[in-house]
Amino acid sequence: MKKKIHRSDFSFWDTHRGTIHSTIGGWIIGEAVYCHGYDMMEELIGKASYFQVLVLNITGRLPERRLAECIEAIFLCVSYPDSRIWCNQIGSLGGTLRSSPVAAACAGILASDSRMYGAGTLLAGIELTKNVVKLKRSGMTVEDIIKSYQRTPKSPPVMIGFSRPIASGDERIETLDQTTKQLGFERGEHLALAYEIQEILLQKTGEGMNLLGYIAPFFCDQGFTPQEIYRLVSIMVNSGVLACYAEAADNPPESFFPLHCNDIDYQGPASRPVPDKE
Amino acid sequence: MNQKQPIVRKRDEQFATRTVTRIWDEEPSAENPYLARSCRCHGYDILELARKRSFVDVLFLIFQGELPSPNKAKLLETLMIITMNLGPRHPGTRAAMNAGVGKTNTAHILPISLSVISGSHLGGEEVVEAMHFLRKKRKFSPREIADDLQNSPRPLKGDWHIVPGFGSRFGDIDPMPQQTASLLLDLQGDWKTLQWGDDFSKAIKPHNLGWLSTGVTAAVLCDLGFHPRAGAGIFQILSAPGLFAHGLEMANKPLTAMPFLDEEHYIIEKKDP
Repeated sequence: MKKKIHRSDFSFWDTHRGTIHSTIGGWIIGEAVYCHGYDMMEELIGKASYFQVLVLNITGRLPERRLAECIEAIFLCVSYPDSRIWCNQIGSLGGTLRSSPVAAACAGILASDSRMYGAGTLLAGIELTKNVVKLKRSGMTVEDIIKSYQRTPKSPPVMIGFSRPIASGDERIETLDQTTKQLGFERGEHLALAYEIQEILLQKTGEGMNLLGYIAPFFCDQGFTPQEIYRLVSIMVNSGVLACYAEAADNPPESFFPLHCNDIDYQGPASRPVPDKE
Repeated sequence: MNQKQPIVRKRDEQFATRTVTRIWDEEPSAENPYLARSCRCHGYDILELARKRSFVDVLFLIFQGELPSPNKAKLLETLMIITMNLGPRHPGTRAAMNAGVGKTNTAHILPISLSVISGSHLGGEEVVEAMHFLRKKRKFSPREIADDLQNSPRPLKGDWHIVPGFGSRFGDIDPMPQQTASLLLDLQGDWKTLQWGDDFSKAIKPHNLGWLSTGVTAAVLCDLGFHPRAGAGIFQILSAPGLFAHGLEMANKPLTAMPFLDEEHYIIEKKDP
């Protein structure tokens, strides 16, 4: 049998070696800064909002100002200055140890990449949003869609976007819905179904839509892809984290929520001698 | 082009055409230049190092360029054990635990907590500043330096770090750093900075001040020959195991496993005008 000779083919990487290929734009020194084809100095700064340019940078599409205002409102909805919220408390802990505001903000933002809250929940929320619309289009009733999220006939439905840590109900939904309406956005297919699901869930379990339950279908209705949505909201907790950082950094070090030794409930083995090396 | 815009010209700077390092040498494989067939750390083959030397030896090597003497290796290893865990009440560890219990992606627990311990209070920046202080002052008498400093301004509230790495914690001398400094001084070797720091801590004792954990780390790093700019990062590397262990311990526990203050204990006050 003829021995197979392996020939390395790394030509793909060679085409990228020593160069950066970009479709997003860049700084042509002495000429202009291009951002997805727009001249940043001439066409964007002073003319477009920060959130319009955020969408442009991430998606390549410059949205209407009103859509950018909706995204800004969503960012405001996660800007609570409350240091009990996990990502915010990390900001406070950074402030009390005098880490830089950039380090503390990055730490807090990273914390929000969580399965329980913040940007980290987005992809799962979008998957649910898209799935329930698919089931509805296939002819299922909303009741049956909800039942499909019950592990057993007697267990409650597990639907991300329709429960919330610490509290049931979400004070942000009505305000955000009014804001999007005032800006001229109608409820699209995804968001309308989310409201139908909420109506039944409120009767069955008392759980309503949370912020994720609103923004995932809202963004889907606006034609964003899941990855675009995740990227758009990735730093949205920034403001609340920095509020908590600032307060702790302005107070004496380690004065934020200090603990006695006995405030920790140690449940490990009792004190024991270290064995000698064998 | 808009005539109002100032003329922007690229500076005539010569950038390197290839990235330079003295740390790592990779020999390309004969078939594929993107793959290495052997790697050397400061000239030593990594597989040979793995066979013959300890983790601590190679950690020292990667930063300093030479393998440590047995005394230095022992000093670094002892510091690594001492600094391995800042404890569950330390704000850096609490950040890790917060991330864990909050179901943050576990890959983020370490960078979160390392960012929190990067600061100038019991963090990486304080280690750097303490190393600068020790390098600058260790040629003088510790008692004279302490005497010169005793009238420096003391904060009205909270702890006083009379200089970086030395001061009070929760209003008192923190007993653990004093003990760890003694333990390290008992190790074989001539640890001049550590000894100077210990003499300085005794000189400031009457003011109810002493070693801080960052000071002990800084003194050891000076005696091991590290430059202050390495101080923050080495402190973070050394503290990383405890931070991650505590974060990970919380990662599979329910959200209720840590306190969440009720409204009675979360008090919103009016700011003084």
